[in-house]
Amino acid sequence: MTDPLRTFVPLAWRNVWRNPRRTAITLIVVAVGLWSILFFNSFMIAWMQSSKDTALQILTGSGQIHAEGFMDDPNIDLVMEPPGPDLRTALEHNDVSGWTMRLGLPAVILSEYKTLPVTLTAVDPIGETAVSILPQKVVEGRYLADRNDDGIVIGLHLAEQLKTGVGRRVIVMSQSADNTMSERSFDVVGLFDSDQATEDFFAFTGLAAAQSFLGLDNQISELVFELQEEAPLEDNIDRLKAAAPALDVRSWKDLNLLLATTDAFMGSIIFIWLGVVFALMAIGIINTQLMAVFERMKEFGLLRALGMKPRLVLLMVTLESAVLIGIGVLIGAFIAALSIWSLSDGLNLSRWAQALEMIQGGNVLYPDYHPESFVLFSLIIWVLGILVALWPARKASKYSPVEVMRRDT
Amino acid sequence: MAGEIPRRRLLGQIWGALVVASLPSMSMAQDARDILRAAFDNWRADSSYAKVEMTVKRSNGTRTMTFESWTEGEDRALVRFVAPARDAGNATLQLDGSTYVFNPRLNQIIKLPASAMSQSWMGSDFSYDDLARSEGVIDDYTHRLIQTRSVSGGQAYVIESVPKRGVPVVWGKQVLTVRSDGVLISVEYFDQLGARVREMRADRIGNLGGRPYPVEMTMRRDDEPGEYTTVRTVDARFNIDIPSYLFTRSNLQNPRN
Repeated sequence: MTDPLRTFVPLAWRNVWRNPRRTAITLIVVAVGLWSILFFNSFMIAWMQSSKDTALQILTGSGQIHAEGFMDDPNIDLVMEPPGPDLRTALEHNDVSGWTMRLGLPAVILSEYKTLPVTLTAVDPIGETAVSILPQKVVEGRYLADRNDDGIVIGLHLAEQLKTGVGRRVIVMSQSADNTMSERSFDVVGLFDSDQATEDFFAFTGLAAAQSFLGLDNQISELVFELQEEAPLEDNIDRLKAAAPALDVRSWKDLNLLLATTDAFMGSIIFIWLGVVFALMAIGIINTQLMAVFERMKEFGLLRALGMKPRLVLLMVTLESAVLIGIGVLIGAFIAALSIWSLSDGLNLSRWAQALEMIQGGNVLYPDYHPESFVLFSLIIWVLGILVALWPARKASKYSPVEVMRRDT
Repeated sequence: MAGEIPRRRLLGQIWGALVVASLPSMSMAQDARDILRAAFDNWRADSSYAKVEMTVKRSNGTRTMTFESWTEGEDRALVRFVAPARDAGNATLQLDGSTYVFNPRLNQIIKLPASAMSQSWMGSDFSYDDLARSEGVIDDYTHRLIQTRSVSGGQAYVIESVPKRGVPVVWGKQVLTVRSDGVLISVEYFDQLGARVREMRADRIGNLGGRPYPVEMTMRRDDEPGEYTTVRTVDARFNIDIPSYLFTRSNLQNPRN
């Protein structure tokens, strides 16, 4: 036995197929387990991407810049001047795909029937299209034409609550620069469709129109920027911080904590799932392998009696498990790839759109192959499977040949 | 020579026709405004004192409160609740375009933010705005006399008032009915699509302080027909001398009268 592997691999292969039904069970357990991990992983990544895209593209952008203190207490005393030359240069960087200025202040909106709090968000409609998808989300009427547009665009749900609509007037009240209350009537020119929180809390008007309404010159309350897809977030944040040391530069991770936490959590949740699935798989593997070992007690006794060392029995049974679980892993990875491929046109969840609005997800998910996770999870399952199967293998190697051969069964 | 006279007459006739054609609209608008002005003057006079019972009917019960009010000019008013005990002491002061609210339990004066002005006043169907702006209608709206009809006690003018462009008013229009002697009979509030939202109507007109007066008025929302607020003026005096300290914040908190 110069090269035990050369003998044992074919032997193990043949042993695997001695009891096809049991082998099939183990294969199914491993394959389904791995499939669920791989598919779930891909699904979650797609979901995360979609909710990130949706949430960030509505208003947040990749990051925002405010005057120091504005985020804690958004009010008109904490507005800032438009970006100076340094910041402007930093914003014109290649990594930044777009940026725009906004003036967002707490306000109250009144209709004939109701009074509700909103954030009056004054925008430059042309710049806005570079960072936000909201301009395309107008389902009735129109979006704002330019920064002098003094119409107002509100959410569908808000309009419903106010019992107002396109072509009607609403009154907006907000604190103006001289600390008195300004009020003005705005014509509703458009309604947008988004998640309910956005629909309820944001009302959009032209930047210049709002500045004159609130008695400001050209001050703004926030700069929103959108980075290119592959641009490093932290590096760019640092770069902008350096260009605007007096201002409060934040990435979306600081602006949308829920999303950032979910993002971080998603990475670990797949391992929790892996743990759960593997626990179930381990029970299946151990069960079938133990059965196989018990059934073949006489065989092991005979092999031992013929002079095979316990070490080699262990090796043989472990090899059997390795082959068996290996095949299961391959099948699992294959059907995972297959099911992801079948959804490559997107998984349409619009039927549950309303429920999904709550968790900020998009309506269509695009699960994708992630080769590194295919390799990683397959290896993890295979190695863990073999480790678990060591227990039955050890049991097989421990049989005393005399004892087992004397048994009837 | 003979031809000149007819020509001049013709010219005169054209001028006359033009003047007559333009007059009614102008004078009617002016008339409508004057009628409203007279109605509000009748209601509040230069200065006034009134004691009023306010009944708020809700689906879960009815509540009656009594308050005293003083007004002077267009922008000074003080309302102080005297009964029942749990509401007594609550007071609202209008001064220079601001509204202050005093709550005896908090012992605090709160200057109402504009955003709160449209909220219900003491749980009634009136808002703070209704108290503060009832007269704003005269200047913020354009008025048109749309109808003259007879009511008990004389003729009444029905005036349609449409807010001027840009004025921060939510209503599509108001329709006010004023009796020829200046008594406000009803105010109807319409949304911008022309649907009526609520109506204030005089239920009883009597004599108070030596003038005809809508003694009992009810405000009703059309979407809650079972709920309403009635104000019944039990005592009123007009054009009286009011000490200047009355309309001050210190008097709001520590009444001297």
